[in-house]
Amino acid sequence: MIRIVVALTAFAVVLCALIVFRPFAGDTADVADRLGTPVEAATTPVAEDVTRAATPDITSIVDNALAATTPLTIEPETGLIDAPRRIDVPRPNTDDTRLSDMTNNVLAELGFAGVEPVTTNSQVLRQSTSEILAGIEAATGQRSVLQERDTLEAIVIAALRSGTSDEDIDAMVNDAAAAGTVAVPEILVTSDGRVDTHVLLNNIVVQAQIAAGGSAPAIPDVSPDEVDGMEVRIVQQATEAVQARFYTVQRGDSLGAISIKFFGSIEHYEAIFEANRGLLSSPDRIRVGQRLVIPQIDSV
Amino acid sequence: MGQFIKAAACAGLMVVAPPVLAQDVRITTFKQSSTFSLNGESYTVFRNPDVNAVITGDFARTSRPCPTDCIQPMVAATGVATLGELEVLAFLETTVTDGRGLLVDARAPEDYATGAIPGSVNIPTLTLSETNRFRKDILRALGASDRSDGSLDFSNAMDLAFYSGGTWSADAPDAITQLIEAGYPASKLFYYRGGMQAWLSVGLSILLSPNG
Repeated sequence: MIRIVVALTAFAVVLCALIVFRPFAGDTADVADRLGTPVEAATTPVAEDVTRAATPDITSIVDNALAATTPLTIEPETGLIDAPRRIDVPRPNTDDTRLSDMTNNVLAELGFAGVEPVTTNSQVLRQSTSEILAGIEAATGQRSVLQERDTLEAIVIAALRSGTSDEDIDAMVNDAAAAGTVAVPEILVTSDGRVDTHVLLNNIVVQAQIAAGGSAPAIPDVSPDEVDGMEVRIVQQATEAVQARFYTVQRGDSLGAISIKFFGSIEHYEAIFEANRGLLSSPDRIRVGQRLVIPQIDSV
Repeated sequence: MGQFIKAAACAGLMVVAPPVLAQDVRITTFKQSSTFSLNGESYTVFRNPDVNAVITGDFARTSRPCPTDCIQPMVAATGVATLGELEVLAFLETTVTDGRGLLVDARAPEDYATGAIPGSVNIPTLTLSETNRFRKDILRALGASDRSDGSLDFSNAMDLAFYSGGTWSADAPDAITQLIEAGYPASKLFYYRGGMQAWLSVGLSILLSPNG
C-alpha cells in the first residue's frame, strides 16, 4: 500500500515538474492571443502592412476625391470663393422606408385602381414600438401611447388632394424636415441637406403610370455634353477596353435624382450606391464634389 | 420507497460527508419562495422541487456562435450595478412592487413570448437604439419628462434592471449602453448578467406565456 502511494506521489511530482519547466517544448512554440487564435511568435512586418492596407481610411479617400475633382469657383455676385468645405450640412431625419413603398401607399390612399397599400419599414417600427408601450403601460399602470406625428406620406397625400403647387409642396416638406417632425427616405436627401421633392413627385407620376398599365421609363442615353459633372473614360481591363462613367455630385443632387438622370427612374439607386460604397456610408450621406462611379446596367 | 431513501442516504454518505436527507429546494435557507406584485398583479417565484431536474430546450445549449453571442463582461457600464438572482428577487419585491422600477427583458419579442422571468416587461434592445424615431415615446413611458428645450429630464425615471438570454447575450448590455447615451442615469440602471439561462439553471419559476 505505502509503495503504491509513494509511487503515485513520485509520478505526480515528475508530472508537475514537466508541466512547469516544459523541457521538451521548443523555442518555436506558438502563442495564442487573448481571442484564442494561434498567432506566430515572430510576426513579420509584411503581414502588418497588409492588414493596414486592408482597412483604408474612408475620410482620407473622400478628402482625396474632393481635392482631386473640385476646382475653386468664384461667386460672380459676391466675389467670394466657393471652396468645398468639409463641414457637413445638417441633414433631415431619415428612416429606412423605401421611396417606392411610400409612393405606392400614397397612390393607394389617393384611390388608384390596382394599387394595394404595403407595410413600410417605418410602419413596422411604429407598430412594434406601440406594442412595447402597451407592455410598459400594463406594467406601470401609467398611460403610455405613441405621440401622433406627421408623416411625409400624410403631408404629400394632403397636398396632392388639395392641388398644392410643386413649389409649395417643396416648401412644406422641407419645413417639416428642417423642424425634425418627419423622416424621409434616404435617397431623397440632397447634397445640401434638403429633401428632393422633385424626385418624390416625379416618382409618384412614374409609379402612377406603371399602375395604369404604362411601361417603366427607359434608360436614357446620356452624354457628357448634356450632363454637367459627367465624365466618360476608357479603362483598359485585362482583355478589353471598358467605358467607365463618372459623375461629380452637384449642389442639390440626391441619389434618387442621379438615378433618374442616368437610369430613368429611382429603381436603380441601389446599383449606384453599391458601386460607391467606399465613398457613401449611406444613401443620404451624399456630398457636393464626390466623384461617383456610374455602373452599367443592361436595359431589361 | 423506504429502501430507496436508504439507498440514497447511503450514496450520499459515500460522496459527501453530511447526508442531506431533506429534499427541500429552497431559494435560501430562510426563504422558500418570493412573492411580489407588478401593477396589482401578484407573482410567486419558487424553485423547482424536483432534485433531478435539468435544463431542457434552447437554454441547454452551451455554444452559441460568437460573434454575435459573445461572453459579456461583469459590468455593463460605469455606475451600473450587476445583479445576481437574489438581488433580482429583492428588486422585484421592493422596487417593482412599490412601482418605482421595472425588470426589463431586452430580448426580441418572439424570444420573450417563449417564456420570461415573472414580473418582467419586454423592451427589445432594437427599440431603444438611436435609429428608432419613437424611442422618446418609450423613454417618456419609463418616466422621463420633457424639458422646455426639447431634451428629456430623467430625475423621475424608473429604476430598470435589464436581463437577456444569458452571459453570452449582448442584448441587455447594449440596451443599457443605449439608454446611458440617451441620458438615462447609470445609477438607475441594473444588469442581471446571468439572464434567462442562469435563472433556469437554479430552477427558478418562469412565466411561459408572459404576454398574457
